[in-house]
Amino acid sequence: CASPQLAPQKEEVSASVWHGRMALQVEDQPSQSFSAGFELRGRAEQGELTLYNPLGGTLAALQWAPGSATLRSGNEVKQFDSIDALVAGATGTAIPVASLFDWLAGSNTPVTGWEADLSQLPQGRLRARRVAPPPAADLRVALDK
Amino acid sequence: GGMESLENFVKTAKSGRADFSQVVTAPGRDGQAPRSKTSTGSFEFSRPARFRFDYKKPFEQTIVADGQTLWLYDVDLKQVTSRKQAQVLGSTPAALIASSPDLNALKKDFSLEAIADRDGLQWVQATPKVKDGQLHSVKVGFRGNELAALDILDSFGQRSVISFSKMELNAGVSPDSFQFKAPQGVDVVKQ
Repeated sequence: CASPQLAPQKEEVSASVWHGRMALQVEDQPSQSFSAGFELRGRAEQGELTLYNPLGGTLAALQWAPGSATLRSGNEVKQFDSIDALVAGATGTAIPVASLFDWLAGSNTPVTGWEADLSQLPQGRLRARRVAPPPAADLRVALDK
Repeated sequence: GGMESLENFVKTAKSGRADFSQVVTAPGRDGQAPRSKTSTGSFEFSRPARFRFDYKKPFEQTIVADGQTLWLYDVDLKQVTSRKQAQVLGSTPAALIASSPDLNALKKDFSLEAIADRDGLQWVQATPKVKDGQLHSVKVGFRGNELAALDILDSFGQRSVISFSKMELNAGVSPDSFQFKAPQGVDVVKQ
């Protein structure tokens, strides 16, 4: 019989690292649409998201921890009070980065207004659509093999 | 030295193609060894202002600068993003070799300095004059008069070394290499 599986306590969930590319399309908002290489590191409570341009240069480094959220891009540093405000500041859209950790780990945590499709995760693909509030947004992620 | 090779290259290489291998190394952090990623593909350019990177491994991605617009097509993400070349080109490393018609044009965007030979190549360091903050410096490496490498350092300490091989210059690169047409069923986003 299977030995009892000890479910990891929430805090001990080890930090994870994801590498790949992500593309976001916001309906009728080309300025908010982008595609970039990324590295996502850490956990929802404390982590880093670094965005890269196609030729390998770093576009922006986002770092957050309880009580602080920092965006470094080019030679400026901006402070935000939450990870969602930070991501919206960097990309123009409130991408639910905290839930991205769960989605990429294969658990379909519900996020109001977003529908995540984890069916292609074995092939390293994730897709999430924001259905509300408008404008509609389509996030696609391709993980490096 | 490097400066003469760069001047000669910018003057005589009207167009060219080569295979490339690119190694991107993120700065080492809190005791971990720096992580690097290798990708390979083919590169073409035609003066002024047109170039193309066809990444093949580990994933397919095409970057085309047609003289006006820079197109990025990511095959896995099924998305094309396009933006005005002028917005991007000035301080990108590719501009160094692909678009400046002569050294003076290059000096408009970069300050140039010959530096010591390394790995059997002669180098010129180009530092962007416009401090948009993304690009720290680019080293251009020559083996004699042959362009051999670009060693790019960004302002976060990430280093990208592009090594060229089988470089053929002025060997009839076809103009439609730089005409980008989005494939069927792929979303095109203009920025």
